[in-house]
Amino acid sequence: MIGSAADTTDTTAELRARRGRRPAGSAALARLLLIVLALGFLTLFVALPLIVVFVQSLAKGFGAYLAAISNPMAWSAIKLTLLVALIAVPLNVVFGLTAAWAIAKFEFRGKSTLITLIDLPFAVSPVIAGLVFILLFGAHGWFGPFLQAHNLRIVFALPGIVLATVFVTFPFVARELIPVMQAQGKDDEETALSLGATGWQTFLRVTLPNIRWGLLYGILLCNARAMGEFGAVSVVSGHIRGLTNTMPLHVEILYNEYNYTAAFAVASLLALLALATLAGKSILEWRQPELRRTALPRRDRGRRAKT
Amino acid sequence: MATPVAAINPGVRAGRVIPGFGLTLGFTMLYLSLIVLIPLSATFIRSFGLGWGHFWAVVSTPRVLASLRLSFGAAAIAATINAAFGLLVAWVLVRYTFPFRRLVDAMVDLPFALPTAVAGIALTALYAPNGWLGQLLRPWGIQVAFTPLGVVVALTFIGLPFVVRTLQPVLEDLDKEVEQAAATLGATARQTFLWVIMPALWPALLTGFALAFARAVGEYGSVIFIAGNMPMKSEIAPLLIVTELEQYDYAGATAIAVVMLVLSFLLMLGINALQAWTLSRHGGR
Amino acid sequence: MSIALRGIGKRFGEFAAVENIDLDVPSGALLALLGPSGCGKTTLLRIIAGLEIPDAGQVLFDGRDATFRPVRERKVGFVFQHYALFSHMTVFENVAFGLKVKPRAERPPGALISRKVESLLELVQLEWAGGRYPAQLSGGQRQRVALARALAVDPDVLLLDEPFGALDTQVRHELRRWLRRLHDELHFTSIFVTHDQQEAIEVADTIVVLNRGRIEQLGVPGEVYDLPTSAFVHRFLGQVNEVAVQMREGRAHLGPIDISADAAASTAGSIALIRPHEIDVGRGAGGWPATVLTVRVIGPVVRLELQAEGRKAHPPLEAEISRERHEAERFGVGEAVNLKFRRWQIYPAGIPAD
Repeated sequence: MIGSAADTTDTTAELRARRGRRPAGSAALARLLLIVLALGFLTLFVALPLIVVFVQSLAKGFGAYLAAISNPMAWSAIKLTLLVALIAVPLNVVFGLTAAWAIAKFEFRGKSTLITLIDLPFAVSPVIAGLVFILLFGAHGWFGPFLQAHNLRIVFALPGIVLATVFVTFPFVARELIPVMQAQGKDDEETALSLGATGWQTFLRVTLPNIRWGLLYGILLCNARAMGEFGAVSVVSGHIRGLTNTMPLHVEILYNEYNYTAAFAVASLLALLALATLAGKSILEWRQPELRRTALPRRDRGRRAKT
Repeated sequence: MATPVAAINPGVRAGRVIPGFGLTLGFTMLYLSLIVLIPLSATFIRSFGLGWGHFWAVVSTPRVLASLRLSFGAAAIAATINAAFGLLVAWVLVRYTFPFRRLVDAMVDLPFALPTAVAGIALTALYAPNGWLGQLLRPWGIQVAFTPLGVVVALTFIGLPFVVRTLQPVLEDLDKEVEQAAATLGATARQTFLWVIMPALWPALLTGFALAFARAVGEYGSVIFIAGNMPMKSEIAPLLIVTELEQYDYAGATAIAVVMLVLSFLLMLGINALQAWTLSRHGGR
Repeated sequence: MSIALRGIGKRFGEFAAVENIDLDVPSGALLALLGPSGCGKTTLLRIIAGLEIPDAGQVLFDGRDATFRPVRERKVGFVFQHYALFSHMTVFENVAFGLKVKPRAERPPGALISRKVESLLELVQLEWAGGRYPAQLSGGQRQRVALARALAVDPDVLLLDEPFGALDTQVRHELRRWLRRLHDELHFTSIFVTHDQQEAIEVADTIVVLNRGRIEQLGVPGEVYDLPTSAFVHRFLGQVNEVAVQMREGRAHLGPIDISADAAASTAGSIALIRPHEIDVGRGAGGWPATVLTVRVIGPVVRLELQAEGRKAHPPLEAEISRERHEAERFGVGEAVNLKFRRWQIYPAGIPAD
């Protein structure tokens, strides 16, 4: 779609250029100016921050970089981050699949409210996402006394970090899958059922292959946020080094200790994750161009009408 | 007439042919309630426990008001910057060809994918007085890092993809023949842009603005490094919540959180209404 | 298998898609549900398939209640208008799907599945296409894959929703004949939905005309065409001319022609519907004087547009004569002729235009 749109510029300029009477002077200049301005803005706000991470992380040489990321504290942060994502992402995948099935395949009252509610965590500050779990499970929270009596820890421990992460990444898979499944309609599922397939067989053999790229896309975005989440996790983690520190939190600690090289070294790993996510995202969008349209705001597509 | 009653599945009775309605909707509601609705309502219920007087006393302290003003004000400025430059970037990406355009297009999502803490320290490193950009700005007497200006910079960074990505599909769908028709009717490029293109873009531009604004209001990770966090001056509301929590002042934290939640929800309802309006007007492509 | 509908009704919100439908489809019938869009024909087909559950009434399969029988237990082959082929599966896998999803105890062994799929592909003349994906086939080929897939599970009933709607004329004609032959060979009960009267007349042995969720008429094709019981059916199946009945001195007239012998024509304001081939165009005396406006040769027939005297405010009448007669008579544009009506049918006044 980009390719075809690209050749259209100012129509009059194009016509003049084609006729060859006059090089498309002012229009070409305006166009160049716009491109330079846009790229300047992007360099300032996207390219430079990315470059500075890698430059700073290597400021004291490659040896210092390796030492920083192989530090045991860094390692435990990496492992915790992976573990949290490994729990939180599958939970939200299951939720995304069930929610999309219910919303795309059935008509029921309150559907649009449900869709709005699924987006709710996007409107909540990450800090508040952490706060709500402190209020529920913290020492002074509703379930605090109960948890203490049974010697259970949620806040300042792994379960709290997972909960906060699940909260902030809650909508990612569902909001990718809902429009994809709605666009697919119900014909395929109805055909499979009329051919004698069970509901489960229909889902596995017909629905899932149809939505696989959308699902991967959602998982990719969900995972990036899960591994990179800072605010919510920061509130519930208690910053216990080597125990409840995820990679982003570890970056903060190192930074606050003025250990800049180490902070940027760990940060560079997260930046690589972000780049890998963007690469994966581009590949999936190339495979299924409709996906890029679902990435941000929801656009409910018109359903196919029937007689 | 004899029907084997046992074979009837309850979903079919209710008029639903595809199976799994009860199961999937049930699980969806349960999970939504456990993870989102109950925890969020707990926050509201706690704040009711404060009583109106106490609640108001917490929320109306100058420090809290200053932090809310900063969070919402800086978010508004950042979203405005993003609306202007986002339109420019979207336009350039959709309409023009230039080397590495696809790469540039992919990089627009970086603020979305880059963990906020990384963005925070990176921006601080750039804009600190001895940083790459800070050095350039210092002779002009402009200081970005550790001032409210730093907050705006961080919020501009994280809101960048929203406007671009809302505008792009609309720009791609714009019927080029309409522009050509305007040209045949004698309109200049500027007139075509103002009278033909912009009216089609307004709803998407507003939506992108609102999304960027909503994201920026609650942002924490990328801001706290660059802001300097001076009370009354460069302290954002989410940070104040964290500070109160660290002092075990749950009541204070909850009160600020509720104010932010209510404002954010109103914003979200606004976005939804805007999208519904756009859809009804343009017949949802 | 025979199918019976008893008092079937289905609403979508405020809209009544079908109302109080009674219908018997004997075993082995090939029945067409015919009607304009929105008449409820697809809803009715989906109710029989179990893809829609009626709000009222009963569906009987071989006399046994199947109203709430789940779709996967109904043994119906359903062919969707847009084929609904599984795009991630090859043609072979598509056809084999219904066999592969059977419970292990009933599932035929792999070799048997292969043999069956191959014979079905042969039946639909696509034996070469097993390894292709649906996207690599033409519309007509996809439609045949969808048919083969529906037939693979040995359905008792074959249901087709606008099966030829998305195809071009040539392919459509071929597929119609092919479906007719297939039905005659295999003898299952088939029901198909169409809005094309030509198609219904060509393929079906029974036609059900639906309008606004109700059955207007049911009969064999010739009967429905020649003896429509309502103006709606008359208008929907083929071209018609409409002439208002005028009462003069207590006698009914169409223009100057006295038709008071027709008992149905005794009320003022009723209307006569006349098909183009039921108009006699001649040069002899008597009848209704008219002027020839256009002459158009359409293959074996010739269509004339005629301005009858005293009908300036109405659209011209359309008459069809055979090519042979035209060769003999050579009516010219502007020529004065006399019209006679061989047949007409009178309908009461105030019937809705659709």
